[in-house]
Amino acid sequence: MQITRRGFLGGAVAGALGGAGLYELVDRLTQAPKRPLAAPPPAGLAAEQHVIDLRTVHSEGVEVIVPPLHSEVVTAKLDVADLRRAQRDLEDALRELDGRFAPNPAGLAVTVAWGLPYFERYVPAQWQAHRPHDRRADASALLPPRRFPSDPHDTILESNDVAIFLRIDDARKLLFDGLGFLKTTSIRRGFAGGGFEGGQGLPKQMAVAAGVPGADLIPDGSELFLGFTSTQKSGLGPRLIANHETLGYVDVRGGYFRHGTHMHLSHIAEDLEAWYLNFDFDERVLTVFRPGMTNVRQGAQTVPQGPEHVSTEHQVKHQFRTTGRFGHSASIQSTSRLLQDFVATDGSVYPKGTAIPQRADFNTLDNPFAWTATPGRDKFKAEAAAGVHFVVFNPSSDDFARNRLAMDGHLPDGTKLELPPRGRAQGINSVLTTTHRQNFLVPPRRHRSFPLAEL
Amino acid sequence: MRATIVAVAAALAFGALAPAGGAKEQRCPKAWVSGWQQLANKVNAPVYCPAWMPNPLDARIGGEWQDIYSIDKDRSYLVSFLYHGDQGTGDVHVNFRGYPGQMAIPRCKTIISVNGTKTRRGTTPCFADAGGTRKAGGIVATVYTVNQDADQWHVLYAWRHDGSLYTVSEHVIRPYTYRQVVRNLDRLLASLVLVQPAR
Repeated sequence: MQITRRGFLGGAVAGALGGAGLYELVDRLTQAPKRPLAAPPPAGLAAEQHVIDLRTVHSEGVEVIVPPLHSEVVTAKLDVADLRRAQRDLEDALRELDGRFAPNPAGLAVTVAWGLPYFERYVPAQWQAHRPHDRRADASALLPPRRFPSDPHDTILESNDVAIFLRIDDARKLLFDGLGFLKTTSIRRGFAGGGFEGGQGLPKQMAVAAGVPGADLIPDGSELFLGFTSTQKSGLGPRLIANHETLGYVDVRGGYFRHGTHMHLSHIAEDLEAWYLNFDFDERVLTVFRPGMTNVRQGAQTVPQGPEHVSTEHQVKHQFRTTGRFGHSASIQSTSRLLQDFVATDGSVYPKGTAIPQRADFNTLDNPFAWTATPGRDKFKAEAAAGVHFVVFNPSSDDFARNRLAMDGHLPDGTKLELPPRGRAQGINSVLTTTHRQNFLVPPRRHRSFPLAEL
Repeated sequence: MRATIVAVAAALAFGALAPAGGAKEQRCPKAWVSGWQQLANKVNAPVYCPAWMPNPLDARIGGEWQDIYSIDKDRSYLVSFLYHGDQGTGDVHVNFRGYPGQMAIPRCKTIISVNGTKTRRGTTPCFADAGGTRKAGGIVATVYTVNQDADQWHVLYAWRHDGSLYTVSEHVIRPYTYRQVVRNLDRLLASLVLVQPAR
């Protein structure tokens, strides 16, 4: 099967653009953040696919990363007879894009991530020999998806072969067609930010335009539907920290997947009316950050979460004992931040309190996707709904799971902060509904196309 | 019927059915006025009767849609009207409150369960997250979006008149969105008619 460059990326994206005119509003409502013009790629691209460099600005005195305006994820299953030829064709297509666009959102940032079904079906022997091994979990760094305590019983655990994550500011660059060998299973689209240069943020403008219930309640200027800034620099893992090998959580064995990482992808529906009509500002702060946080200015959106603000496991337990609550950030920080200074294998020093996960989530009006091959299974609806396509890079599935469990009050030492899984005292958890989950492995750039197929 | 006639006559005699504002004269509908007059008499303070209600409700105290009718020892009252959309059409729920002689936002009790065994009790403002004001008929109301007890999940307008606090709120629930509820409340606010207690 011959794959053309147009055939690679294009079809999925073209389908998304054609089927969801709503998102074209993003370009009309705001301008792309000021970034250097797309230029020919540097001589040596980063070894990592998932790392892109974004500029920062200050929001309410806190340094925040300006996220890409547009993001898309296309998931697919494979229909490939000649794996090595497919590998060559895909790589050719990617290299052509590398030459045409700078690997950042002003150009075209592409991350190709592979699901466990791909490895087990197409390259099982090679996978057994080379799969990265999570030392703490004593298991593969890539595990099947699972449901977490606050997930509904019907959260769909997906089994896609591949996910292509596109971070771009200008959708017009993506005028392609025909996907060829990839059987698209879903197209997920969304946006973020838009408020840092002043004026209203995109989330409110887009939600109001789409007539989403509760849209009028979103604060002006908010980066996300739920009203707080999530891309502050100190809250996101620095450049290479989420690599399999950086913190030593994962044994990359022969090194095939060195400079690779793990990607979790989920869709989470957000009940804006429940959030803004049941939790006043002070309570929203307590539940998003931590109990006892009473010094936050009314209406603030960017609340500092630097290393000095990180909650320890002990503090989370104490806060729960005294208030009956635990904060979303505080509980996750018990697993997502470094407990001590760390010197990585490449000599980089990461101070205590440094964030590990690299989040790349974005707002969406998909319900739950912009397009799906299985609308019945996915409970697809054409009417817009507020949500987030949650994309995060961690060293492994287990590392992601530790963070996600902490979000539900299951702390690293085994302590369970007993609250009903979706009860009101869970705060933000009570307004979130995860509809889909899947884990992926992001190979290093040199192996991004059909990893292991050449062996 | 006789009571209604008497009440209306009394009201007219004492100028009780004055519109809340002034620009456009509103009247408490004939079928509803006796109930509101009796309420004003009981709490010995002016109360606000709406001249309009969101479909399918009316504001006839003692009528088909009345839900809660409660007067506390301090004369504060809650009158609510509720349509239950049991057939999947959604609820419509409107509350009217008055706090004669009180201007402050009341506080509501909170109970948080800790570890499933202990409880922590506290209080919180019954109306919170003020977000702007609405003006109609001489009333300047503050919009509150996070409210407690019977007003939970309601958008609530609160204003003060003659040393007392008054509120009207509507539940944000299908068939009405937040935006439609605000529209309803705007119309409700503009329709309010002050009913004075009979002397």
